[in-house]
Amino acid sequence: MNKRSRPFGLFLPLALTLSLGLAACGSSSNSGSATNASNVGGVTASSPTVTVLMGTAPDSLDPALGVSTQSYEATWLAYTGLVTYAHASGTAGTQLIPGLAQSLPAISAGGTTYTFTLRKGLVYSNGQPVKASDFAYTLQRAIKLGWGNKQFLTGYIAGAEAFDAGKAKSISGITADDATGVITVKLTAPFGPFLNVLAFPAAGLVPSGTPYKPLPNDPPPGVGPYTITNVVPNQSYTMAGNPHWAGEAIPGIPGGHARIDVKIVSDNQSEAEQVLNNSADVFDWSDAVPGTLLPQINSQAASRYTQEPTVSTEFFFLNTATKPFNNQLVREAVNYALDRRALARLDGGMLTPACYLLPIGMPGHPSGPCPYGDPNEPATAANTAKAKELITQSGLVGTSVAVWSESHPPHKEYADYYASVLNSIGLKATVKIVAAAQYPATVGNIKNVNPQTGWISWSQDFPNPIDFYQLLNAESINPTENHNLSQVNDPHIQSELKTLSIVPSSQLSSVVGRWQALDEYTAQKAYIAVLGYDEAPKFTSARIDFAALVFHPVYGNDWSTLAVK
Amino acid sequence: MRARRAPLAFGGLFGAVVVLCLLAPVYAHDIAHTGPDDNHITETIRVGGKTEEVVSPTGVPIGPTWHSRFFLGADANGRDVAVRLLYGGRNSLEIGLIATLITMILAVLIGTFAGYLGGVADGVLSRLLDVIWAFPPVLLGVALGVALAVGGGLDLGVVEISSGSLLLPAAIIGVVCMPYVARPLRGQVLSLRRREFVDAARVQGHGHLRILASELLPNLTSTIVVFVPLMLAGAILLEAALSYLGAGVQDPNPSWGTMLEEGIRLTPGAIHLVLAPGLMLVAAVLGVNVFADGLRDELDPRA
Repeated sequence: MNKRSRPFGLFLPLALTLSLGLAACGSSSNSGSATNASNVGGVTASSPTVTVLMGTAPDSLDPALGVSTQSYEATWLAYTGLVTYAHASGTAGTQLIPGLAQSLPAISAGGTTYTFTLRKGLVYSNGQPVKASDFAYTLQRAIKLGWGNKQFLTGYIAGAEAFDAGKAKSISGITADDATGVITVKLTAPFGPFLNVLAFPAAGLVPSGTPYKPLPNDPPPGVGPYTITNVVPNQSYTMAGNPHWAGEAIPGIPGGHARIDVKIVSDNQSEAEQVLNNSADVFDWSDAVPGTLLPQINSQAASRYTQEPTVSTEFFFLNTATKPFNNQLVREAVNYALDRRALARLDGGMLTPACYLLPIGMPGHPSGPCPYGDPNEPATAANTAKAKELITQSGLVGTSVAVWSESHPPHKEYADYYASVLNSIGLKATVKIVAAAQYPATVGNIKNVNPQTGWISWSQDFPNPIDFYQLLNAESINPTENHNLSQVNDPHIQSELKTLSIVPSSQLSSVVGRWQALDEYTAQKAYIAVLGYDEAPKFTSARIDFAALVFHPVYGNDWSTLAVK
Repeated sequence: MRARRAPLAFGGLFGAVVVLCLLAPVYAHDIAHTGPDDNHITETIRVGGKTEEVVSPTGVPIGPTWHSRFFLGADANGRDVAVRLLYGGRNSLEIGLIATLITMILAVLIGTFAGYLGGVADGVLSRLLDVIWAFPPVLLGVALGVALAVGGGLDLGVVEISSGSLLLPAAIIGVVCMPYVARPLRGQVLSLRRREFVDAARVQGHGHLRILASELLPNLTSTIVVFVPLMLAGAILLEAALSYLGAGVQDPNPSWGTMLEEGIRLTPGAIHLVLAPGLMLVAAVLGVNVFADGLRDELDPRA
């Protein structure tokens, strides 16, 4: 959960994209005639090496376990699934295209059966042939290893829950014919964004027989332009070229131009300075550029620095299952008292103050005014007085509150500010800071920690508002690895999600109004206190072709488009 | 006489730091008009006839104004650095003093009993000291500090310390430093217990406790007195190190260590954030150390 890391899973954009994906890829059945031949060649021994700096280490480089942005940046280039995302900036990058499948699947009328056909002649990075049956094995491995988003598999694929419970040896809802390459997936109920689930790197195929044990330091073979090697935990790893990629001929997936050395640099200042003085090549988009360096960057490196909008929301969760936030008056008081402009400054000006969970750019983002005042204006004395009054009305003056956050800037500063606000309105706040790598697991542990309130952020996994509403879905409440940190169990939200979740992403426009109404309802109930929506730095050294580097809407910097001038 | 002036002067330096820190509430209330945890991120102030933002839109805090408000500038959260510096000093000194007290009490008890009783008791107590001594102080302090601070504090039944309490880092530092005093004391007692005056007391029928209290402890006094300022300096430094690493004083409570940690992120653009707590730390520790050296020379000229 450091900035923009995804503690939870994501899912699926919609089936949608069907036509878009098909158009982008040309005829799916004759993949060799791709209109996009950028995969040809790929990274070789003679390719240049670029250095990417990253403030936080990936949670895991085993695709069956990683769920953070830092993990996905690497694994989506090494583990291609049956479908994947177009390698493009902006909205185009949210479109699903066929990956290892010849085309986007045929979907049954009821939306519960997906039929894919595997491309022929595919091999893993170790030279082993890809089989259709590897798909089921890959999902089974992710479930067995406890992938953070496995609920999207166990909750919808027939037989997956029984497999997870140990009542079956395989997932009965998946059938595969190695001879023909046909794969059929049966769902227990229609789920609009199911194709997006299959675009996760966790669904990127690995060979049958890959051990049912975490392999973060020696990731298994996959199919993609890169392979992950030389892993030194919490220090570095290398994205080397896949020696078999040139023969794969999968349209729409760039082959890459450079070998990539990734180094973990926990100090953002050092990370930014190294890129500024060209001793490293890429500043990770998940990290914050120190405000003190921005004037220097703007004067010396304006041509290689931009702030890219992201579809992400930062907020304070308010645990509705414990005092004092089980009282709506207290939650409202917090929303009244926060000065979101102040929080934006703590983030170096890279936060757009806001009050709704669904961010700008996400279908369903409400257009109406915020119920707690304009977030772009300073908190007024009237707002603070109102907040104090609400706390008094609640009868919870002086209640102790522990504010949780992680050590990475500016999240620690957020917590300090938030604690001062809580103290100013009559609560008694202390701060608990946890190392970034341990933060998601810590605050997601209801059993032993059960945090009252704290910072968290959520980035788009796919362009469907249901992605963000996992954070308020009662079904996401778990004793450990909890995603619904506010522990919201609201019948109205549950009812709406039940209906809205089956709407394919391609038909989202028909339910945008309902999503807007639901998000306004959420704001009125003050289940969370939104800080705002993030921008991300795209910042490279002078030797990188800045214009060619794609900033992907889901995965950030697309390393397969990194090229030296 | 010249040689004694320097220790006294540095002792005075430490005393001045203590007095300054004790005056923190007065400075905050009557001069700076803000508390140590008050955020002023979006506010502006008048400096030299110009209106300046306490924290810029890109997150850069204002530097020293040399006026009553933000005399030493602001931090990233728009908090007055001078106010936090004095309150942080109070916390650092308080932890240092309590930790030293804990260290000395435990060390005197364990060191004297181990040395005097010998045999199995000495073996058990000495191994206990060895276990603690086996870990580098900072490493052990960080491990205990993080576990207890994040885990909800210390609850031993009769003693309960909440995770945000200053007593927690004080207790950790007190225990971690204890062997460094207990071992020398034990050695000294081992030597003293065979001396004639101890035998004489025993022959006169004095009990163990009386022998310890009336015969041995007085002979340890000069050693204990010399250790106190040395351990105080060490405890202040260790507190700063633990707080810097997030295992000491917990946010938003200030200490010189947490201020250094917060400031280092904004250097070199806001160098005042590390210079101010750094210099105070140097002044306090240097003052105590030099004073302790002088004290040792005075009490034990042969050392």
